[in-house]
Amino acid sequence: MRFIHLADVHLGAIPDKGCAWSSKRQEEIWETFRKIIEGIRKNPVDMLLIAGDLFHRQPLLRELKEVNYLFSTIPDTRVYLIAGNHDYIRKDSRYRDFQWSENVLFFRSESVRCVKDPLLDVYIYGFSYRHREIRENVLEGLQPDEGEGMHILLAHGGDDTHVPLDVKALSAAGFDYIALGHIHKPDILLKNRAAFSGAPEPLDHTETGPHGYIEGKTVNGRLKISFVPAAMRSYETITLLLDEESTQGSLEEELKDRILKNGADNLYQVLLEGTRSPDLMLIPEKLRMLGNVLDVTDHSRPAYDLEVLRRQYHGTLAGDYLDYFADRDLSPVEEKALYYGIQALLG
Amino acid sequence: MIIRRLSIRNFGKIHNRTMDLTPGINVLYGENESGKTTVHQFIKSMLYGITRQRGRASKNDVYSTYEPWENPADYGGTMWFECRNEDFRLTRNFYKERPYSELLSEDSGAITDADKGSLDMLLGDVSEAVYDNTVSVGQLKSVTGLDLVRELQNYMASYQGTGDSSIDLARAKQMLKMTRKGYQVQDDRNRRELQKEQDKISANMEYVNREIAEIRERQEEQKEHSEEENRRTVQEQEILRQAASIGSRMKLCSFFYTIVFAVCIVLALFVFKEFNLRAAVAGVGILSLLILALRIQILKKQKIQLRKIRKRLKRRQAEADRQTDAISAELAEKKKNYFNLKAEFQEYEDKKYSRSTQQDEIEALTLAMDTIEELSGRMVNRMGEDLRRRTSEILSEITGGKYEEVLMDEQLHMSVNTEERVIPLERLSRGTLEQIYFALRMAAGELFTGTEPFPVILDDVFGMYDEERLLGVLGWLSREKRQVIISTCSKREMELLDKAGIPYRRLPMQEEME
Repeated sequence: MRFIHLADVHLGAIPDKGCAWSSKRQEEIWETFRKIIEGIRKNPVDMLLIAGDLFHRQPLLRELKEVNYLFSTIPDTRVYLIAGNHDYIRKDSRYRDFQWSENVLFFRSESVRCVKDPLLDVYIYGFSYRHREIRENVLEGLQPDEGEGMHILLAHGGDDTHVPLDVKALSAAGFDYIALGHIHKPDILLKNRAAFSGAPEPLDHTETGPHGYIEGKTVNGRLKISFVPAAMRSYETITLLLDEESTQGSLEEELKDRILKNGADNLYQVLLEGTRSPDLMLIPEKLRMLGNVLDVTDHSRPAYDLEVLRRQYHGTLAGDYLDYFADRDLSPVEEKALYYGIQALLG
Repeated sequence: MIIRRLSIRNFGKIHNRTMDLTPGINVLYGENESGKTTVHQFIKSMLYGITRQRGRASKNDVYSTYEPWENPADYGGTMWFECRNEDFRLTRNFYKERPYSELLSEDSGAITDADKGSLDMLLGDVSEAVYDNTVSVGQLKSVTGLDLVRELQNYMASYQGTGDSSIDLARAKQMLKMTRKGYQVQDDRNRRELQKEQDKISANMEYVNREIAEIRERQEEQKEHSEEENRRTVQEQEILRQAASIGSRMKLCSFFYTIVFAVCIVLALFVFKEFNLRAAVAGVGILSLLILALRIQILKKQKIQLRKIRKRLKRRQAEADRQTDAISAELAEKKKNYFNLKAEFQEYEDKKYSRSTQQDEIEALTLAMDTIEELSGRMVNRMGEDLRRRTSEILSEITGGKYEEVLMDEQLHMSVNTEERVIPLERLSRGTLEQIYFALRMAAGELFTGTEPFPVILDDVFGMYDEERLLGVLGWLSREKRQVIISTCSKREMELLDKAGIPYRRLPMQEEME
């Protein structure tokens, strides 16, 4: 037995609105989904489990048709599908009356239903969102049925407003595998027993690291799962460590090199750390122009020794200014203010 | 504080040199480049240590400048001074690998590490920056009149607002303001960009909305159309029903004719024997047979027609249903589209009101500006008026009462008050400007150094003074009972001091040939 566990594809999402690559990313989300289906067509699995949020919003009929067509190209694979909080089954949802291809089973109900796979001794449990939020843990106390075989739970959620489920309890209750969706970062919660597959394509800059899906198969009667990368690009963070020798030019050069080395296709967040020469007037905006840079966050500090300065300038305005910010915890804004002021005063 | 003696072991170009100072006026005399500045720097370095610059700047910092060429490990000396009525000996070695500082209280015999706070305690409020601003007085740097006036006004304003004449408060504020403006512009641009995207969605929503209205209209039309169709259907059904009743009547007639025909045939064959009668009956029979055939023909035709009508009716019905379905499907799709657009619109709305990184910077810059404004305001309140008053007093004393008061207006324009009138700075001679500057520095020195008076180092400040002015200043200095180190490359000061009978000590940089 072999299956693929997929979730949070978010078809129709438009990542990084306002950035040059935004519409390309929208297409790439579809592209990666097609590629996964294509992969299944060439090397069929028994089951494709989709744990919610296949669509970013309410699916349009043509989108459903497109997806259904793709499902129809893998007739040897049974597709088990639930709706998540993004594509929840609204009262006028197209999900309600859509006629799926024969190999697709869509869980329409908001309470957990169980179906037995027609070919294997596998029982699939699932439920869909019919509301934007489900604040109760509707899975509390859920137990698998008596049937002999493997019991797989398909669920979407895991935070306070989206089914605050307890994975350990569910696993302990006897589910052999819990295929989760909702959290976009792939995360194997219990080895071979429960996982968030994560979004196959990352959707924004917070979703760094590899993205793809989970593949499961039985080896000698035991289930083994593994993460399979599938994303076309990833969001990465580049940290530039400044020192007193750093200049605008040297930073631009370094960033260019690092982007090239890390893959020019990836999307970057740039973080400036360390200390910089007090007379360096940094223009982060210019670093943003260097390619797929989403934003530049400047945490670098002018290389002032505040305690020494405070002693040196005691009794003058600069000293008073340093005193004003000294000996207390500063908010990020206050810390910035401190350095801005000192830089202005001491030139 | 009174400096008693300097013993310079190795500092810059000076090696093994000892100088004894008086508590009154000392004249440090020597040609340019003879090492006067080195002595000043030695005193300051003894009191505050040498803070090294980092990175590239270290190549030209104070440490490197005064590092002895020979014996770099023996870099420093000793200074004896009196402070708060106690005698001290301060010994330092600045050598970076083994820095050493020792403060000995000659009265109590206590030895402490000067860098661990004991010296800071003695110096009190006189930090390095305050020392730079008050103890060591240099010449006005500007050459021409207007620049000179501006420089002097800046000094006054800086002293009042920052306590530090090296800080240009206006420039600092301007710098912060410009930086903030930069971020503001960026933030505005980003927001406009977002707005543009949102407007696009908004336009799209409107478009879809119009489409929905159109579809609704079509739905309406379709409804009317299907009602019309229904009416027609009803009519045609009526026709059908009539046709059906006609049909059944016809069937009855056919039955009647069949009977007549049968009766006639029976009559003709078996009842009537007479030929004419037989022929007549047979004729009636055949006639009814003909009529029957005709009737059947008509009935058949009618049946075909009815079937056609029925078929047409069904087709129309199906077509109407199909269209109704298609329209409602289209409507549902458009509604979904609209709903999704609305969600997207809301996302932009949220983004528009979320915090941008620029806003952090703007807020930080505003906080910096406000804090500087506030603290500087406090300093003006604390020092401003005292400084002006004391400057006025000193000016009056060194000019023999010629100028009574220094004034400064809101725009930081300075003027002086004589007995008769107020004269703006621009109209005063360079000599007088130098005197005001001197008075200002002296006043600042008193105010900023607190209760313990500090020595004053006057570094080539009297170059522009005529004899009368110089005498006024020297006389004031001797009356003030402050320790003064006059650093000069001319003998004028000493000659005048001799002439006026003011006691002082000579500290020649070179061995004098006397």
